[in-house]
Order: sequence, then structure tokens, then C-alpha cells
Amino acid sequence: MKSISSNLFSGIMASALIVAMPFAAKADGHDGAMDVPKITSEVVLQGLENPWDMAFLPDGTMFFTEKCKGLSVRTTDGSVNALYGVKGSSGYADSGDDLFCEAQAGMLGVVPDRHFDKNRVLYVYSSSTKYRGDGCKTNFEKCDGNIVMRFKVSDDLKSVSERTDIVTDIQYKPFPSDQPFGDPGAHNGGRLRVGPGGYLWVAGGDRHRGICPQDPKLLCGKVLRVDMDGNAHPDNNPPEGFDKRIYTYGHRNVQGIDFRPSDGKAFTAEHGPWHNDEITALVNGGNAGWDPAQNTGGRGECPDQYCGYEPNQTESMDPAIRAAYTPMSDTRFEDLMPATWNNNGYSQGTGSAAFLKGDNWGIYEGRLAVGIMGIGFSGTPAGSRIDMISITPDGLGINGIVRMPLGFSKRFRGLVMGPDNALYVSVDAGEIYRITAESLQ
Amino acid sequence: MLKIFSSFFVFMILAYPQSALSADIAAGEARYKETCINCHGPAGKGAGSFPKVSGKEISYTTDKLEAYRKGIKQGSNSFLMFPMAKPLTDEEIANLAAYLEGAKYNVE
Repeated sequence: MKSISSNLFSGIMASALIVAMPFAAKADGHDGAMDVPKITSEVVLQGLENPWDMAFLPDGTMFFTEKCKGLSVRTTDGSVNALYGVKGSSGYADSGDDLFCEAQAGMLGVVPDRHFDKNRVLYVYSSSTKYRGDGCKTNFEKCDGNIVMRFKVSDDLKSVSERTDIVTDIQYKPFPSDQPFGDPGAHNGGRLRVGPGGYLWVAGGDRHRGICPQDPKLLCGKVLRVDMDGNAHPDNNPPEGFDKRIYTYGHRNVQGIDFRPSDGKAFTAEHGPWHNDEITALVNGGNAGWDPAQNTGGRGECPDQYCGYEPNQTESMDPAIRAAYTPMSDTRFEDLMPATWNNNGYSQGTGSAAFLKGDNWGIYEGRLAVGIMGIGFSGTPAGSRIDMISITPDGLGINGIVRMPLGFSKRFRGLVMGPDNALYVSVDAGEIYRITAESLQ
Repeated sequence: MLKIFSSFFVFMILAYPQSALSADIAAGEARYKETCINCHGPAGKGAGSFPKVSGKEISYTTDKLEAYRKGIKQGSNSFLMFPMAKPLTDEEIANLAAYLEGAKYNVE
């Protein structure tokens, strides 16, 4: 009898489920109400050498940088003009003898002025020997070696002129050090973007120097907000005694920065040490909480005065122990900007980031697309991918993450939205992809 | 004649124990794609801070991988290679070296 009742009950429940399923599906959007777009990709350019960043004009003209070569432009007819090279490059209309590449450093970010249609102004970030002076004799000096240049682009898109260096004192690492990835030229940041108010945002890195991120005057480990001449935005609000160009400080290596379309809020994507990566909602004058200096925060002396990979630089270790020793977001800082997202103890190399714009992205519109460039060390899965992160309105958390269904995995270095509402992505292997989303509703 | 051939064969085995004589390029490519590709990029062309490893002579790649397997430091990022090289067998090293010698990158 028990068995019969049980079977009868199961049968009734199954029937009820079958009857109810269409309604449940409709409520859940599975009958087509949920606008999941079809995502496809195509190669726009290939055979490039470490393409790092791209920037668009409204007509689809695309400027792009190659780290060890220089600045080029792809015009609307698909032709490419090489505009301004680093020292030793060939085929460029012009070049800078002071510009160079070394390890992670080189020609990095690019972005047009918001009034480009009138002034033809373009900004480019690069490593340079021009302003070193005598401050680069060791790794422990103020070595100015990263700059932001302003150019005027010719009407025919075949040359640039009137180079003006508007930021000349972002620090550079001139010599090797006793750290993982300890080559010269480490942690330069380098992404440039123009914010909603038309000001230029410059993302920086700590250049493997322990004191950089929390130092009030050094520009390493900072995000700057400046005008087209490199002067501080009048509303920048760093702590007393800080360089007024600083919008936020306490950063490790900011590889991505973009502004949420709904409210203009700035978010950074930051490449972490062995134990984490982070997305952070920026607050004017805030502290991202990275402090790799020795003899502070409970730490002793560290190799070459940099605690960024301690307490054990090269061996496997529980990420939680690393995170406790040198946190990405150190809670002892009262002005800490808490992370929007962290990578659950993994360091997979968060790179560039861009908010997905346009209703063709369906349910993903407004999410932050983030490139991950995993290296798969010490139990961390490599995980090279693009994540689409839904960020909470207050910017202090996430609603969820969906991996972009591309069907391939590469080191996604630069992400930027095009005027066609497609996501353009450069990969270390040498391609620039156009990723399109098509709403099916 | 058979004697000459046999002598030559023995000589080659002794001179190039992990050479392409026995290497399986396809197996090398498959092994490369398991882990190496994450840092050194497709077809060993290098990526970011990680050097190009394709286009090198077989003996060069073999020597490097054997040294890493033994834990011999060869640069500032050797610690990244130690755990990668440690589980490699002689056969896998031979296959990887053979694959990387002529690996060409094609955009997929």
C-alpha cells in the first residue's frame, strides 16, 4: 500500500511538473523572454607584435599600439598607416628616439581627445629615456621613465605631429630585482582612457618598488586624472600633501579602467600578485590598499625592499597566507576602497576591462567585460578568458559572472568598445578581434 | 652493408639520444597545448613577459628542459619552469623539442 501511494504521489507530482513547466519556463525567461545574445568573433588584424591597446573614432577608425613597435591606425577602408614608432622601429612615418620597450614596458595605452573631431588630439602612453636625469642609478630612486604624450593627427591619418609630453614623471624600474618577473620595466600600468567629463585618466603600476603605492608624491601605483596639458583636475581630492594629479592611490598594476555607462563611475581592473586579482570602484582620493613596502603592516625586510610576493616568492603556498601577509586591499587603511570583485585567491592576470554598451548585448548590456591572461602557476588554473561581470549599483559587489562564449582561449590584453557596439580585443599572440553580440529578440 | 647501417644507427642513438629520430611531433604539440601554451602562447611564439620558445634547435630546447627538470636556475623566472619541467619524461622532452623546432603559428 505504501508503495502504491508513493507511486501515485510521484505520478501526480510528475504530471503537475509537466503541466507547470511551460509556466515556470516562461517566468524564468527560458521561452525566449531572456535576451541571451548570439556572440561571434572575427579577426580584424593579425600578424601584429604584442598589440596592447586600441582607440576608436566615431567612424570606426581604429588607432592601436604594438608594445615594441609603435602607434598605428587602421582606417575605415581597412588600410593601416604606421604613425609613430619607438626607437629602432621601421616603417613608421616618424619615431621617438627616447621611446623604447623592455619586458612589460613599451608603447602601451592610446586614446583620442573627446574633441578629436575639432582638435585631432591623441594621447599615448610609453616608456621613455628622456626624463630620467640622474635619478635612475639604482632601483631605489625616483626614476622617471613612463610618459604620456599628446599628438596631433593629420587629416589624412598618415602622420602625427606636435608631440607634447604632458606627463613626464611616472616612475620606471631600470634594473632587475630579486622578484618573480624581476626584469626591468615591471608594472607600468599604462592604460589611458577619457572619462565622462573629458579628462584624461592614466592608470599606473608600482614598478616593483615597495614605497610607490602609498607615497604621496611618486606617481607609481596611482591613477591620475588630468587635463589635456597634464594638469590636475581641479576636483581631484587626494589626501593632504599628495600630488594633485592623483585621483586614487595604493594600486599594484592597473591594466584596465573604464566608466560605467549608467552613472559614469570609474572601475579599475588590477593585475594581482600570487594571491589575487581585483576589480575596484574608484572613489576620488581613495586608497586601493596595496602596500608592498617593507617594515610596515607587520612585515619585516623583504628582497629588494619589495614585499609584493612575500612571504614566499617562488614556492607554492596557501593564497590565504599570502593575502594575509601583503593584501591587495589592506583593511588597516581607513580610506580603503573595498574591492568590487576579487579572484577567490587566484592570480590569473586581470587585464583590460570595458563596459558592454548597446542593447545588442541583451542581458549582458552594462556588464564589465574583463580580460584574464592566466599563467597557471602553482595550482592556479590558467583560465585565459573574458568574464562578463554584473556589478551591483553601489559598485561594492557583483551579482554574477558569465564567461564570454568565444570558443577559443588566448591572452586577452586590451579590451575596448567600438562605435559599432562591438567589443574589440587584442591578444598577445598578435591579433585584434571584433566580438559582436546579436540580440535574438 | 648491414654492418655499416647498424653502426650508423648506433652512432646516431648515442650521439642524439632524444633527437627527432624517435620524436613524435604531434605528441609534442599535444603536450605543449596541455600546459606550455598558457605562458608561451600558441606555437611557442611568446607572450607578454614569456619568451619565444619556437624555432630553436632541438638540442637547445632539450638541454633547457632537462636543466629545468633538474632544478638548475637559468634566469629570474626559472621557478616558474621548475614545476612545469619536473614531470616531463625524456620522451616528452624529445617530442616537445621536435615540435617547437618547426612550430608555426596560424590564427584559428
